[in-house]
Amino acid sequence: MSGFEGIFGHVPGYLLVFPLFWGSVVFFALVMARHLRIFAAVRAAGPSPFADVPRRVGGLVRYTLLQTKMFKDPRAGIMHFTIFWGFVLLTIGTANVVTGGAIQAVIQVPAGGVLWTAVSAMQNTVAVLVLLAVGYAFVRRLVTRPRRLAFTRGALIILVLIGGVVASELLAQAFEAARYGSIAGAFVADALAVPLANLAPDVLYAVFTVLWWAHIAIVAIFLGYLPFSKHLHIATAFFNVYFRKLAPRGELPAMDLEAEDATFGLRTLQDLGWKDLLDGFTCTECGRCTAACPANMTGKPLNPREMIMGLRHMAVDAESGLDLIPNSPILRAQAGLDDATPSPTLLATAIVDEAIPFDAVWDCVTCGACVEACPVLIEHVDKIVGFRRNLVLEDSRFPSELTGAFRNMETAGNPWGQPRATRTDWTKGLNFEVPTVAELAAAGRLAEVEVLYWVGCAAAFDERNRKVARAFARCLNAAGVSFAILGQEESCTGDPARRMGNEYVYQILATGNIETLNRYGMAERTIVTACPHCFNSIANEYGQLGGTFQIVHHSVYLQGLLASGRLRTADADADGNPARSVTFHDSCYMARYNNVVAAPRDVLGSMAGIELREMERNGKGSFCCGAGGGRMWMEETRGTRINAERTRQALATGAEVVATNCPFCMTMMKDGLAEAESNAGGVVSAADIAELLADSLAPAIPAGRQLPVLQ
Amino acid sequence: MRIVVLVKPVPDTTGQERLGPDLRVDRVGVPAVVNANDEYALEAALKLVEAAGEGEVTLLAMAPAGAPETLRKALAMGAHRAVLVTDPALGGSDTLTTVRVLAAALRRLEYDLVLAGADTSDGGGGVVAAGIAVTLGLPYLSYAAKIEPSADRVVVHRLSAVGYDQLEAGLPALVVATQALGEPRYPSLKGIMAARSKEILSWSLADLELGDAPVGGAVTTTAVVETHAPPARAATRVVRGPAGEAAAEVVAFLAERRLI
Repeated sequence: MSGFEGIFGHVPGYLLVFPLFWGSVVFFALVMARHLRIFAAVRAAGPSPFADVPRRVGGLVRYTLLQTKMFKDPRAGIMHFTIFWGFVLLTIGTANVVTGGAIQAVIQVPAGGVLWTAVSAMQNTVAVLVLLAVGYAFVRRLVTRPRRLAFTRGALIILVLIGGVVASELLAQAFEAARYGSIAGAFVADALAVPLANLAPDVLYAVFTVLWWAHIAIVAIFLGYLPFSKHLHIATAFFNVYFRKLAPRGELPAMDLEAEDATFGLRTLQDLGWKDLLDGFTCTECGRCTAACPANMTGKPLNPREMIMGLRHMAVDAESGLDLIPNSPILRAQAGLDDATPSPTLLATAIVDEAIPFDAVWDCVTCGACVEACPVLIEHVDKIVGFRRNLVLEDSRFPSELTGAFRNMETAGNPWGQPRATRTDWTKGLNFEVPTVAELAAAGRLAEVEVLYWVGCAAAFDERNRKVARAFARCLNAAGVSFAILGQEESCTGDPARRMGNEYVYQILATGNIETLNRYGMAERTIVTACPHCFNSIANEYGQLGGTFQIVHHSVYLQGLLASGRLRTADADADGNPARSVTFHDSCYMARYNNVVAAPRDVLGSMAGIELREMERNGKGSFCCGAGGGRMWMEETRGTRINAERTRQALATGAEVVATNCPFCMTMMKDGLAEAESNAGGVVSAADIAELLADSLAPAIPAGRQLPVLQ
Repeated sequence: MRIVVLVKPVPDTTGQERLGPDLRVDRVGVPAVVNANDEYALEAALKLVEAAGEGEVTLLAMAPAGAPETLRKALAMGAHRAVLVTDPALGGSDTLTTVRVLAAALRRLEYDLVLAGADTSDGGGGVVAAGIAVTLGLPYLSYAAKIEPSADRVVVHRLSAVGYDQLEAGLPALVVATQALGEPRYPSLKGIMAARSKEILSWSLADLELGDAPVGGAVTTTAVVETHAPPARAATRVVRGPAGEAAAEVVAFLAERRLI
């Protein structure tokens, strides 16, 4: 036998496969082309397909072929992995059918058809696995119903189609085997054929015919339905992952404030980049982002999934009125059409209040939990900050309490409006001098500075965090590190302003700081800070404004001092440190944004008698304290308080100390613990890792017996 | 609707040392901001012009030559132009000179309304606006919580201890603004950019018709003899606990000091 008359000769009307299947492919392509017309209407800026190809391909392998993010929810991950790879493998069979058996014709040539037999066996195995996975998916949708899922009819239609396409193919094969005899390799079909053997050949043939055509029909329906469904991700996820943000997560898009006639920030669909739209068309409504969102969990209107889907709905709405004729002037002239562009009104509709409520824009703590959770690498936070930029810079529309913070940052250089002169007050009470860079420069001793300690506003002005600054300074001093501070010349890095959308104030502060640091040659030194927000700005964002600095977070710096032996902790026995249990609250901007997870734990682990008890949400899966993204300066009036929820999680570990490595987290956890009813009497307290370490240091080694200073 | 708003660049209140060695306000070493009470007047003026759909808001300031930088911030809120009266001879001026100079400047401007803040955070005299009204013979409507102009008249709700008095006067008139008129707006980026190219007229004493009486620091009628820092505030005591107990504690605290 040769050609499709041979392979599919027993299928009545086989030739109809071609118009049916390839027709549906053309329809799919036309609908996708209509989607692309929306892409053509937005900003052209976006990642280049030809830059960073190895990294992009690596991401493709990790996130689409291996689907590493999906396995954070192991059962859903296995289910999805099975269906994905099952689909890929079963496509061989479908491709064979729609190409007139070309694949089979080639594969069954070598070694007497053994290879095709193996393919058939593999396909049978995979079909059973996919059906099991689809069955589990139905159980989730209909029985167990996890909270994060949206229970839409669309989701069930897709499951019916997936199950149907696989089941119809397998069952058609079973009836085929019962009618015509065993099929080489198709062991499942053969087994299913055994109980069917007694049926009349005509019946077997009729059922086979119906099932075979059902399979093809479902494939065609699937293709036609796909571009309108949440399942579109199977076409878009690869592109979305390939074009993922490669810049550090903590680096917000750069902004030119001098641009003439520009829209500042994101106002309408037209202000989005095409990658932002692709995010919308890739969302599969799995709800991992919303389930991870601390604002949503505490009853606030912010819902990251609804925001992304809202963008997609806006885009699809803007397509309405567009027909399927491609956007070619010649074709359109021939067809007598003129509405070649998407609806100008809908393209010019403001996104805020349409795809996302105004309040929700301000609920975001920019913790990045949504971004971390998303299996297809959608960027939620950058968009929310983009909306804020537009509201602040163009409309001056923001929660009224931010006016004070903005003005304070601009005029006093710190969000609290504290006098600059009190920036060094935290050093009072230390039994050693903390020199400023200016003093050392005046004395010609700038070369002595090993590290610049970037104190940050919280540690400089907030009473509780001043203690952390003193403890960290004690650690540096004990390690013999020669350090200095900027003192009154230090300003807020601008992080809160930037994340509240006030790029103008951010750039004033950032350029001022860059100038100050460069004036003292600090680009050649190491800068160390205990504030993750200061760290993130200086490490990841100052580069946009021409500032390149080596900055280390204090958790990493202390880890290094301990590892190199410059800092030593006391033995429990010698010093009598009581054993205590500690839970560590990861700050978003260290763990999730900058991958610093082990360092603070190593610091805690260096101390005698500390038992680390992890919260359920820890490391890169940490739960925000509630103060990121400028929320530190906003009232939290909607829902319950985020820090109360995080405090509850911390107290659930039974630990006596909640350790932090961020001044905002410190404030929020301290307040949360003070207000928690289950912590009456303040038994559980919050402490920065530097404070715990400073209190656990070994007595100074006598002079002359010190370890050599490592460079 | 043409409105002139009196604004004064004052030393930033978050700074600590605000007096120079001569016991006068240090207007060079300390960064300046727009006097907060003047921003309420400016906000009210902008709202009136926006509501009228036409008109112009002009800022008028008497300040050192470096003031344009500060005035740009007020222009960024939406004022149309600014007039700065600056002259080395004006350093160390007293209230009387300020009144005479600003009144002379106003004589050169056309307006329906003059708006001023209740007082300034540096001098704190709170009499300049009244002095100008007297000098120019303008109706003086103070402590405005509401300003309603019509074609040739203005109605003002003047805050009083028990509510408000309704005042009415013919235009032009001088109105003193209060916080009750509404929070000053935060300038948009477009406003900030536009302010860069807005007109700031600089007038010296020679540009004003001040008559024969000398003005400025040389003829000041007041002098700062001595200054004292206010006593440091005692530590704040925060009462925590269930509402009932906390209230009892607060009452006991106040009773102990014979405050209730």
